Amino acid sequence: MGDTIRWEGSLEVALKRARLEDKPVLLDFFNPN
Amino acid sequence: MAAVTYPNPKVVNFINGTMIPIQVRFDAQPIATDYNVKWTPTIITLDSDGKEHHRTVGFLSPEELIPSLLLGIAKVSFDSDLFDSALTNLNRLLSEYPESNASSETIYLRGVCLYKKTHDAKPLKEAYERLNARNPKDEWTKRAYPYRLL
Repeated sequence: MGDTIRWEGSLEVALKRARLEDKPVLLDFFNPN
Repeated sequence: MAAVTYPNPKVVNFINGTMIPIQVRFDAQPIATDYNVKWTPTIITLDSDGKEHHRTVGFLSPEELIPSLLLGIAKVSFDSDLFDSALTNLNRLLSEYPESNASSETIYLRGVCLYKKTHDAKPLKEAYERLNARNPKDEWTKRAYPYRLL
C-alpha cells in the first residue's frame, strides 16, 4: 500500500473518489506550525 | 499526528486501503468554516456527499486512531441504515482493539445496531451488561443504564 498516506488536497476530488471507490473520507485539519 | 501517528505502517495501510484521506490547513477557507474547525488536530469522517458522521479533536496514537476511524466508518453505515456493514466494522474494532478508547461507544452502538436490525431489545440489555462489567462509571455505561430494565 506504500510507505506514506496518499493525501488528497481538494475536497472536491476526495468526494469524487469516495463515490467512485465507495469509501468514506478522512478529513484531517492540521496546523503546519 | 504527522510525526508519530501518520507515518506508522499500520496506519498508512489502513487509511490508504479503507478511506479517501484529505489533509487541509486549519485556516483553509471555506472548508474550515464549513466544518466549524476550532482546534487541531481535528479529524472528521465524511460520507461521499461530504456529510460529517464522526469527529475527534486532539492527538491520537496509532493504537487509538485506527479504532476511532473504524467507529467513524461504522457510523457512516449506521446513519444510512446499513446495519450489517456497520456491524462488520464495529465487530472488527472490538476484536482487534478491545481496549481502545473507542470501544465503549462501539459496544453501545453495536447494541443499537442489532436492535434496529432485529427489533429485539435483548442486544441493548447485553450492551449495558457488557459495558457495566467493564467499567460501571464509563460515560457509555451510564448512557445505556435504562437498558438494564429491558
